[in-house]
Amino acid sequence: MVETPDLPSIFFYILVNGLPTTLLLTALGLLGGFVLGLSLAIMRVYGGKDLGWISSGYEKVLRGIPLLVLIYIFIFGIPGIFWFIDPLTRPLFGVILALGLRSGAYQSQLFRGAILSVDPGQMIAARALGMSQFQAFRHIVLPQALRLAIPSWSNEYAVVIKDSSYAYAVGIIETLKVAFRVSANYPLLWAPTMGVVAIIYFIFTYPITRMIGERQTKKLKKLGMGGG
Amino acid sequence: MRKGITAIVIIVCVVAGFAAGWLFSPFLTGVTRVSLVDQIKARGYIIVGTSSDWPPFEIFNTTTQEFEGFDIDISELVAAELNVTIQWSDMDFDSLVGACTAGTIDMIAAAIMVTPKRAEELAHSVPYIRVNELIIVRGDSSITITKLEDLAALPAKSVGCQSGTTQEEELTDANVDYASYVSALSMLTDLDAGGIDVAFIDEPVLGQYTAYGFKSIFIVPAEPTALWCKWEEPELMAAINKALLEAFKDGTMDTLIAKWF
Repeated sequence: MVETPDLPSIFFYILVNGLPTTLLLTALGLLGGFVLGLSLAIMRVYGGKDLGWISSGYEKVLRGIPLLVLIYIFIFGIPGIFWFIDPLTRPLFGVILALGLRSGAYQSQLFRGAILSVDPGQMIAARALGMSQFQAFRHIVLPQALRLAIPSWSNEYAVVIKDSSYAYAVGIIETLKVAFRVSANYPLLWAPTMGVVAIIYFIFTYPITRMIGERQTKKLKKLGMGGG
Repeated sequence: MRKGITAIVIIVCVVAGFAAGWLFSPFLTGVTRVSLVDQIKARGYIIVGTSSDWPPFEIFNTTTQEFEGFDIDISELVAAELNVTIQWSDMDFDSLVGACTAGTIDMIAAAIMVTPKRAEELAHSVPYIRVNELIIVRGDSSITITKLEDLAALPAKSVGCQSGTTQEEELTDANVDYASYVSALSMLTDLDAGGIDVAFIDEPVLGQYTAYGFKSIFIVPAEPTALWCKWEEPELMAAINKALLEAFKDGTMDTLIAKWF
């Protein structure tokens, strides 16, 4: 054992070595979930009975599977699904897929709520002006719905960034894994290192949820949109 | 009613999809078998799985930003034999066997001891070192045992081991109600904090934790450790064995043992 590092240097070590991967996983997982969730929400609201059932069935199944199980399924369970990607980055894609699919299930609920909370009178008015249903949705309902979804979407971000720490189990070097490596080098610093990890996650969760979530909720109230 | 049926149909479809993916995924990679050695040589690197909290066998040195340890040096010998570089995959110890079976990693170098149960799932190389396992307690503890089965007399969950290790198997065989930990680190931290009273661990690893002042009360001779890869890849195993045996022959192995132990 060499000299013991102080906490700030552990903090910056974990920040530099682990956080980029965590943020990458979070960003791509959220993006995948956004695309999937929005499509599912549209299917649920406008798709009629048949498409609606697919969407709600998907939500019910995916919301009932723990994320770690999904990650294990996509990496150890069906290792062949990413045969076209080079073997080193396969775990990364597996985790992103798992995060995206899971987040998609939650985000579809969130966007469904947002779309439904736009007054249906607006759709009727837009149709009366001669817009097609798609045009009315694209230009009238969707912009308002996305804005309404922002506060709850920031909550989804807070969930995904913390869930991305599961990736350490399949050999991805993200924040938590880097912290484990540090504490393996300095066993006596185990507890402080975990504290540092907690602080890092908090720093990257709270200000963003506060800024996006709470401020947007207030703004929306001023505009008279949403229940807050 | 129809809703319920649809939900069931979706669940069945998802399960069937996973099953189909599992059954047919080997065929997606091409019907003609390309041996793993050829794949490794073609891509220029071998993916070696390890669990980096097990010094002096393997640890990720956060100062030099490199892996180091006995297993690491031995894997380098194998990589040199294949004329490729190593890409490390650093995961929990109990995930390694599953990862190697799934093909996420090509080879495991994590001080894994040879046991019949593991040999059913994966093939092992010639053994390269044998270490002792220790029963350790806190410095001020008064627990003594004369055989492993004595641990069963202790209160439930007061004995700790790392999950997936030989120690876990031995405790199961001895009918001990143990607590299992993902890493040696969390186990020893818990031992120090008083969560457990006894821990079961490889002898060399204890060197990293001397600051805690644990004492050893019982020594269990353990099985030798080896490198592991899939049974289906005899060519890779041949290369691994060749590298190991040559290291024994020209004295590299003795140098490495002197360096790390």
